Amino acid sequence: MTENLTGLIKIFGITLLLVLLWVLLSIYTPSTFLASNNIENLMRRTALYGVLGIGVAFVIISSGIDLSIGSLVCLSACLLGSFLQVDYVATGTTDVWNFKADAKTLVISDQSGYQVGDHVWYEKDRRNRTLLEIKGISPNEKTAGQSVLFVSGDLTRDQQSADGQPVAKISKAYSVTSVADLAVVFEIGFPNLNPRDKISFVHPTASNREKVVDRLDPSGSVILTDAAAGIDESFYAVPILRLPRMSIPLAIVSVLGIALTLGFVHGLLITRLNLQPFVVTLCGLMIYRGLSRWLTNDQTVGFIEYQDSLGKIGTGRWELWPAGDGVESFGIPYSFFIFLLLTLLAMVLLNLTVWGRHLLAVGRNVEATRYSGIDTNRIIWLTYIICAGLAGLGGMMFAIDSNSIAPSAFGNFFELYAIAAAVLGGCSLRGGAGSILGVVVGTALMQTLYNAIILLKIPDELEFTIIGAVILFGVISDELLHRTAAAFKSSRSAATPN
Amino acid sequence: MNAPPLLSVEHLTKTFPGVRALSNVSLALKSGEVLAVIGENGAGKSTLMKILAGVQTADSGRIMIDGQPVRLENARAAIAAGIVLIHQELNLCDNLNVGQNIFLGREPQKFGFVKSREINFRSQAYLQRVGLNVSARSIVSSLTIGKQQMVEIAKALSVDAKILIFDEPTSSLSASESESLFRLIDDLRRQGVGIIYISHRLGEVRRLADRVLVLRDGENAGELGRHEITHDRMVSLMVGREIAQLYGRTEHPIGPTVLEVDSLVTTTWPQQSVSLQVRAGEIVGIAGLVGSGRTELLQTLFGITPALSGSIRIAGQAMENMSPVTAVKCGLALVPEDRKQHGLLTDFSIRHNVGLAKLSHNRWAGIFANFSKQKTETGEMIRRLGIKTPSDRQLAKFLSGGNQQKVVLGKWLALSPKILLLDEPTRGIDVGAKQEIYRLIEQLAAQSMAILFVSSELEEIMGLADRVLVMQEGRIAGELLRADFTEESILQMATTK
Repeated sequence: MTENLTGLIKIFGITLLLVLLWVLLSIYTPSTFLASNNIENLMRRTALYGVLGIGVAFVIISSGIDLSIGSLVCLSACLLGSFLQVDYVATGTTDVWNFKADAKTLVISDQSGYQVGDHVWYEKDRRNRTLLEIKGISPNEKTAGQSVLFVSGDLTRDQQSADGQPVAKISKAYSVTSVADLAVVFEIGFPNLNPRDKISFVHPTASNREKVVDRLDPSGSVILTDAAAGIDESFYAVPILRLPRMSIPLAIVSVLGIALTLGFVHGLLITRLNLQPFVVTLCGLMIYRGLSRWLTNDQTVGFIEYQDSLGKIGTGRWELWPAGDGVESFGIPYSFFIFLLLTLLAMVLLNLTVWGRHLLAVGRNVEATRYSGIDTNRIIWLTYIICAGLAGLGGMMFAIDSNSIAPSAFGNFFELYAIAAAVLGGCSLRGGAGSILGVVVGTALMQTLYNAIILLKIPDELEFTIIGAVILFGVISDELLHRTAAAFKSSRSAATPN
Repeated sequence: MNAPPLLSVEHLTKTFPGVRALSNVSLALKSGEVLAVIGENGAGKSTLMKILAGVQTADSGRIMIDGQPVRLENARAAIAAGIVLIHQELNLCDNLNVGQNIFLGREPQKFGFVKSREINFRSQAYLQRVGLNVSARSIVSSLTIGKQQMVEIAKALSVDAKILIFDEPTSSLSASESESLFRLIDDLRRQGVGIIYISHRLGEVRRLADRVLVLRDGENAGELGRHEITHDRMVSLMVGREIAQLYGRTEHPIGPTVLEVDSLVTTTWPQQSVSLQVRAGEIVGIAGLVGSGRTELLQTLFGITPALSGSIRIAGQAMENMSPVTAVKCGLALVPEDRKQHGLLTDFSIRHNVGLAKLSHNRWAGIFANFSKQKTETGEMIRRLGIKTPSDRQLAKFLSGGNQQKVVLGKWLALSPKILLLDEPTRGIDVGAKQEIYRLIEQLAAQSMAILFVSSELEEIMGLADRVLVMQEGRIAGELLRADFTEESILQMATTK
């Protein structure tokens, strides 16, 4: 096992360090380190950072580098937030093309559903809403396919569509027929309404109030918890539908697709144009950060709407045992399973496939590999696609986990964490060497260090100092080990004549 | 009373854990003398030289200069004692100019500023002494390898070297560059410099040496005086047996044309074009000076560098957009000149090197590597080529040059190519391994493989080839059949316009 020996020793060394750290923490801070939620947290963080580490490991083995990971994490998170953003739209809306406040007329798209005496909810934007009553209807003589509504109510300004765009929307308001403590019953049912949609209660003179639909009566009349307090018969209600821009699977696939495409572009520039990986991905780092901020107007992105669906993947866990007397409940976070699966796939890819073998060769000596008739560009290209894809996946996992993404800071330095974990785990920046298992252990070691800093109440200003020192220590001992091994091997090979 | 010799080495022994690299080796060198040290790879030549250059220290034994014992603990001490090693791979910073290289680390300076004018002035004197007619301001990378070597020698003279050690100095020189090196060595000899000359090329040794020291398995195998130096004596001392015939020529039937090159234009010689044909079972040698475009021709054929124009037909089929990937698919194989950079993954095992090109074929379920098949095939290749190694897990960098070359050959033979391109197939390889590689090439030709090889050793070209193409400045200047081979005719084609 001449070839794999140093690699094994390397992993063995840092595994030993990791176990040592665990033992020390268990002895010095048993109540906090061994607490269920601390261990779960450690697993979750290892999983999230580990996904990025595995991705960059492939690039590093090819003797390249990817600095864009942190920004790509942020971009993916922001894209996911943007794809999954929920818009609220009143049911049965009709476009208003212009209105005259003096004459109290609205020109609308032809809608035969309105009758004299109906109440309509006039909605210009979220702040400008009023309740109107329809006094009369007639077809618009100037433009076919439009109607003129004569209304009573509070219209303030004249406005006309400038460029064919509707200026506002109206939708029908339903009168509330009866109110109990826990339920509101409408005169007709709303078959297209779902739980977690909203209902806006409007009064001709008083302010609006929105309530979330909790349950629906099978007949279609809406039931709300705690919605009815203070509502009497003079109220009207407008059902408001949740309208996600994309379904969850489509959003995830889209984000992944975008990340993979960016990786493809990195690979294209690096292999076809022969640009340096450092430069290409450094530009990526800046471009994706800026894009993220622009896309979100630099506003924090969250997933409050998805706490029951996506949020479960982020915070959920597979409970091994429930809380009992003196025993805390413990479970394995779902993200950890995703990470395990990826680890397994990456190990197979690197160690058992032809591509993985060729990757090691390319990383060690790209010329000799090319001279062996192997398409080196294709191999290098794929590493950047894998890395960006995993950064995209990791970005989504981070996003769901943290549920609050500040586009200017989210993912900062993540590329360096990932690179550090890969290096700690035995990937050489010179290329051609590295193991996935090492990256996993390296990530776990970094997260344990971070955990230790918190538990041991070391000032967290020193966080980077300590992690940096440990990595340096790891690299130095690795180099010394390497020299000893080389001396040992050369003496052994000298012993065998030629 | 005789004056003590310039350098005398007595009973030098050096043991690495598990192996005795040098055992009781002695030598004496007088000033104005050229002592050639020869021996197969692993005979201890390089260990001896490293000890003299202060890179390694001996376990026991004495080194004396002018009768005074010296301790050569590091390279600085060796240089101070007047010993300079001219490496096989030159140690110049090729981004600096000639003068800066000569005075590297010893720059004359004032207040921390380098006195460039003084460097140039003083360098010029040393350059004159080695007969190199270039400015001290020329950038080293703009010089030919031969001239760079002269710069290295000038650098050695600038530190008052009394003993110069040349390690395979002509391995990358053309015939005329080698000749000017020999003349310089003659000059230095007259100036009283003691010279130790290590070479595999016995012709050079015969041309230069006053005495020959032969090492075998770390011991003195014998010494030959000026008049005893013959090719056969040297070879028999080196290998410990007589080599009747280095090139075991067998008759191999020659088949149809498999490689047809028509007006191929390479990027290095855009004004010239090359046309040639190689037939199955034929061994064609390409002779010519270094820089005449031989290596570039092979690299263009193999698709490493793209051709500017021209056509390549393999077994009658025209090739478009040649790349190494397509080349290998069509049955081409290239054993490159630079074994360590292009031929091998030195940090990888024999198994992975031999299996590298074949791995794309050894797969199951589309993507998975078939390691067990790779292992058996490597085992077969080790036996077939006689690669000396304890295990197929041995890293390629720990093999001798000859075994490394066999690994490179094994990588290609696993694919059974139709056409084998070889660039300097026996560079830096000892006589025994050379012979094995010649036999192998003969065998492959007998199995009707087409072989096109480049060599700077005329002896090798003449011993091996059925036909010789002589290149000169990017074009084929002439062609000779085996019956017409003479050193003079080849050299004349390579040099006269």
